Amino acid sequence: MADTALVDLLTALADDELVLGHRHSEWTGFAPHLEEDVAFASIAQDEIGHAAAFYTLVAELTGDDRDRLALGRDHTEYRNAIICERPNRDWAYTLARHWLYDTADGRRLEALERSSNESVAALATKIRREERYHLIHADSWMRRVAGGPVEGRTRLIDAMALAFPEAVGIFEPVEHEDELVERGVLPAASEQMKAAFLEEIRTALDRLGLPTQGHAHAADAAEFVASSSGDLISQGPAAREPAEASSNGVGGRSGIHTDDLRQLWEDMTTQYRSNPGATW
Amino acid sequence: MFEVFRRSGHRDPFEHCGSVIAPDPEMALLMAKECFLRRREGQHLWVARRSDLHSFSDETLLEIAADKSYRFPEGYRDVVAKREKARARAKELQD
Repeated sequence: MADTALVDLLTALADDELVLGHRHSEWTGFAPHLEEDVAFASIAQDEIGHAAAFYTLVAELTGDDRDRLALGRDHTEYRNAIICERPNRDWAYTLARHWLYDTADGRRLEALERSSNESVAALATKIRREERYHLIHADSWMRRVAGGPVEGRTRLIDAMALAFPEAVGIFEPVEHEDELVERGVLPAASEQMKAAFLEEIRTALDRLGLPTQGHAHAADAAEFVASSSGDLISQGPAAREPAEASSNGVGGRSGIHTDDLRQLWEDMTTQYRSNPGATW
Repeated sequence: MFEVFRRSGHRDPFEHCGSVIAPDPEMALLMAKECFLRRREGQHLWVARRSDLHSFSDETLLEIAADKSYRFPEGYRDVVAKREKARARAKELQD
């Protein structure tokens, strides 16, 4: 019988990468400038490549087919974290999520590199090499937007207020996590990784001069910010839409998703559903 | 220190050919012309301060860590065979 707990964990990892990779790919042709368009499309492909690698491990355990796992399931069967399925909104939100996700993923892969399951450990090591570059990419953008002109900075603060609370959902445990931790397959419990992640993010936000409270509104922090010309500009809250209330980002690991996933799924699986089992 | 790049014609890429020590760009061009374009090795010359050239401090970032066959034509080699097969099957169904 297949190792249910491990299958659940690998499926969650794969679904995170596939769904976020698909969201990233939606920028293709629309990113803020051409070079970034190419760079971000490559990152999207990397994430989908990681998903393919995780689905391959699942397929080996269950005798299933990795394409069917990726595209042939109903949207209610996906186990990705809610934050991965959220629409891109603007570049600031995409950047905030990319940074939060890859930081969280770094924590997760760091633990999985020490997994007692050799295939999982080897794959985590391989993926982490690429994720290291993704983090450099995200960090480089964050530093520039956070320290740049007021509009970008303000948008980033609003985006972070939406994304940060939901990013915590990346560490929502899969059903039989205790068993995986006990067996050493998952060498760190989600709670433990979450604490380390929150500490890392708060320190980084502090260094970037961004609010560290998840729900803080941009106006609290961006009242006077240096513009690109060096002048101090006052930015009133009336200039922007108020930040939307966001969920706590939990539920995805047990298949409870937002309608955003259904919409993404319709789009992502159109081709597969029109001709199931076709190969490319 | 200036790095020197030269090319032959407008269609050729500039290629690095060496470096010269000079106090400023103007002198660097003169030195470069004497050192690297003595025998019609090219028709165009660039110089750039070495401090203006940048590289990754960790070049392992440039290695390709995972399967990227989709970036290479070889990754699509079997498409032709699959298309032929699909055509044959379509014809079969039509007959």
